Amino acid sequence: MQPTVDLTNCDREPIQWPGFIQSHGYLLAIDPATFVIWQASENCQALTGLPTNTLIGQNLSGIRLHETAGTELVDLLTVALRQNNPEAFNPYLLPLGDQSWYLVIHQHDGALILELEPTADLINLPLQTTAPLLNKTMPIQALLAQTMTDIQRSSSLTDLLHKTAQKVKELTGYDRVMIYRFGEDWHGEIIAEACEPFLEPFLNMHYPASDIPRQARELYKTNLVRLLVDVDAPRVPIYPVQYADQGRPLDLTHAGLRAVSPLHIEYLQNMGVRATLNISLLYRGELWGLISCHHYAGPRMIDYPKRASVKLISQLLSTALEIRKDDEDEQFSHMLNQREQQLYHQMLADWDIVQGLTKHPLTALELNTATGAALLFENKLYTLGHTPADSDIQALIEWLKMVSTDAVFQTDQLPNLYAPAELYREQAAGALVLVLSREMNEYLIWFKPEQKQTQYWGGNPEKPVVLGEDGTARLSPRKSFDKWEQLVRNRSEPWRQVEVATALKLREDMLQLISQKANQIRALNEQLRLAYEELEAFSYTISHDLRTPLSSIKSYTEIYLEDYGETMPQEARATFDKITKASDRMAMLIRNVMHYSRMSRTELSMESLAVKPMLTQLREELLAGENGRDLTIQIGNTPPLLGDQTMVTQVFSNLLSNAVKYSRLTPKARIQVQGSETEQEVIYAITDNGIGIDMKQAGKVFELFQRLDSAVTYEGYGVGLAIVKRIMSRHRGKVWFDSSPMYATTFFVSFPKTNQPASSL
Amino acid sequence: MLDILYIEDNIDEADIFKRVISRLPTPPTYKIIMSGTEAIDYLLQQGTHQGQSLPMPRLVLVDLNLPGQSGFDVIQQVRANNRTRYMPMVVYSTSDSPKDMRRAFDLGANAYLIKPGSYHEVSDMIRRAIEFWLTQNHYKP
Repeated sequence: MQPTVDLTNCDREPIQWPGFIQSHGYLLAIDPATFVIWQASENCQALTGLPTNTLIGQNLSGIRLHETAGTELVDLLTVALRQNNPEAFNPYLLPLGDQSWYLVIHQHDGALILELEPTADLINLPLQTTAPLLNKTMPIQALLAQTMTDIQRSSSLTDLLHKTAQKVKELTGYDRVMIYRFGEDWHGEIIAEACEPFLEPFLNMHYPASDIPRQARELYKTNLVRLLVDVDAPRVPIYPVQYADQGRPLDLTHAGLRAVSPLHIEYLQNMGVRATLNISLLYRGELWGLISCHHYAGPRMIDYPKRASVKLISQLLSTALEIRKDDEDEQFSHMLNQREQQLYHQMLADWDIVQGLTKHPLTALELNTATGAALLFENKLYTLGHTPADSDIQALIEWLKMVSTDAVFQTDQLPNLYAPAELYREQAAGALVLVLSREMNEYLIWFKPEQKQTQYWGGNPEKPVVLGEDGTARLSPRKSFDKWEQLVRNRSEPWRQVEVATALKLREDMLQLISQKANQIRALNEQLRLAYEELEAFSYTISHDLRTPLSSIKSYTEIYLEDYGETMPQEARATFDKITKASDRMAMLIRNVMHYSRMSRTELSMESLAVKPMLTQLREELLAGENGRDLTIQIGNTPPLLGDQTMVTQVFSNLLSNAVKYSRLTPKARIQVQGSETEQEVIYAITDNGIGIDMKQAGKVFELFQRLDSAVTYEGYGVGLAIVKRIMSRHRGKVWFDSSPMYATTFFVSFPKTNQPASSL
Repeated sequence: MLDILYIEDNIDEADIFKRVISRLPTPPTYKIIMSGTEAIDYLLQQGTHQGQSLPMPRLVLVDLNLPGQSGFDVIQQVRANNRTRYMPMVVYSTSDSPKDMRRAFDLGANAYLIKPGSYHEVSDMIRRAIEFWLTQNHYKP
């Protein structure tokens, strides 16, 4: 019988109930309560002397197995079943004919399943092995002890696996023993091997996931040891085909005699393999790999006790793997946690995310095995290590926004998901992305370089399926196992779970800090608002309470002069003049302070301003007060600008009156106003040929109440330029100057063309 | 018969005002009240002035910053009363804040004068105001 399996049900082939056993043993399924036989393998006639179909429905006590009476077997089973776990006493030695056989019993699928298998020597050819024949003589306990020692002494995982393969080969005598490890995509790789010198090694070969289908892997997790004695031997059907009233064959998941799928047979035949033994390696309950033994020369039988030893070795190995991997994981995870903690403390201490993550000896780059990192924060991109170009990172982020809404995104094959990344796969074939805020466009990304690998496949992995002769696609085992090379590109080392977990922890810490900072800013804003309310109240106090008595002082002085001025001596009049001038000066100071504070508080109303009329009017007013001087004010280009009418007028008024004032001693005073524009801004330059500014004192120029040495002989309060600066910053504009005293002093003001005014402060 | 009611809490300002008036060729009659509350009681004939028949002014000069009720309160109460609602109310304050000006006009002030910083300027301003409000303006209390 050769079932054909098409591609639609390939993964569903019910390998746990094939309805057949291997031909080297016998199987009986009986009622565990009554010992009535429900099913028997068709070869049981050789065992009982009765046609198999006549056995069904009979009580086990009514038949004989060779010279052993059924009743003896029933006694044995009764005793075994009285213990709750009859399997614990496997195997039971049973003489059949002139040979000793092993009886292996287990309960499954509602039946008590009896399997009879010969001791190994009945089947095996004499070994043609170079391995020492230790295994013939060495007791199991000694062998296990030695295996334990070897495992403990192994310095590396590779060494450990290699020694295990060697040990299993010695114990079992197979031509080839391989340790096969599953990848994340369930394709496999041979990572350790012990084989006869006449065989070509398979070490480092890869096999596609379809070689071991899903339901086989599921079975491997419960049935840890699978023996296939002879690939070429015909399979023996179980009679009857359907088990009890289940409408399907008996479940043979735990049966050592279970026949394997015809597809698997074909696969092994294609490989030239005659006998196999497969032992599962589990890591935390999941299938990690297999110890896979192949024999080529002929059939090979490993009897039950030896299979138990191999199983024990595999369990020892699994435990060793767990301990080793746990240790390694533990150390790695501990290291990452420590680093994450330190990064958090750095951010807290600096009270700055960017500073904390990028400006210390320990940076965000050390948080995992990445070789590059990029932080996009507050519209600035910061990079560490080897990264793609800034523009590539920005484009990558735009792409990410479209494809993922998760807080974290990871891949070890970015170029396969996002084609533009192929151009920079040497920096970023792998990426781990933390989304801090999609709205604010804030991201932290780690990059790993491409790891170019040559993978050796046992046959072309792209062609696990062959077309049937009738042209229909049919799942058929691969015919070719020739070494097939594949250059794997666009991939990086994968990200480990603990790396992703640590990155997420960092994300939490960053978000917490961001929200704390936001709260702090909110609190500061509130304080600022209160401070400005106070300032406003203070301004009012100045305007009223300070100005009123000052006015009185001046007024009384004037009244006194009016009443007694005629009779006052000249000196007394001069003193009174000084009182008047001093109070005038103080009144002016108060007015200027109020003016400055008002420029800081008043709301701006932005509009496009025609500058020419504004300048022409200012020129008229200024020239009117400067009769008898050789003074010209020349107005050049006047591009319109965006601003608040009153405040911009104030700017030009202050700059022009400064130019007029400080050129008063210049014989031919020339003032020039020239506007120009760039794509982003409108710039005005006001140039005079007055006394100018010593650049050594440049820092003082825009400070409130600061006056330069050269200006002491000119009246002024040190407020005009401070107001200009304040107004320009309210417009998000700039003011600067350049001066060659007595030759040319130019003040520049620039207004942005698109303008969001700064908030009133 | 009263020409001017001047509401002012500062003695110096009041003194200077008196001096300015006294130097005029034909000095108008005036009364100075030093608190907002007192001024309201006077103008509306309430509180301590309940039932008295007091002379109503032809012009009120009101400072804004006053103890108790402010100059704004005075304007508001005067405008809210039928008998006084058309009374000329002129603000006379040191404040040149546009906010104060807008508020005063919103409440119904007729004019807003900013107190100058010297006797001569004060004298000039008061004389012109009297000239306008008492001579040229037509209002019978």
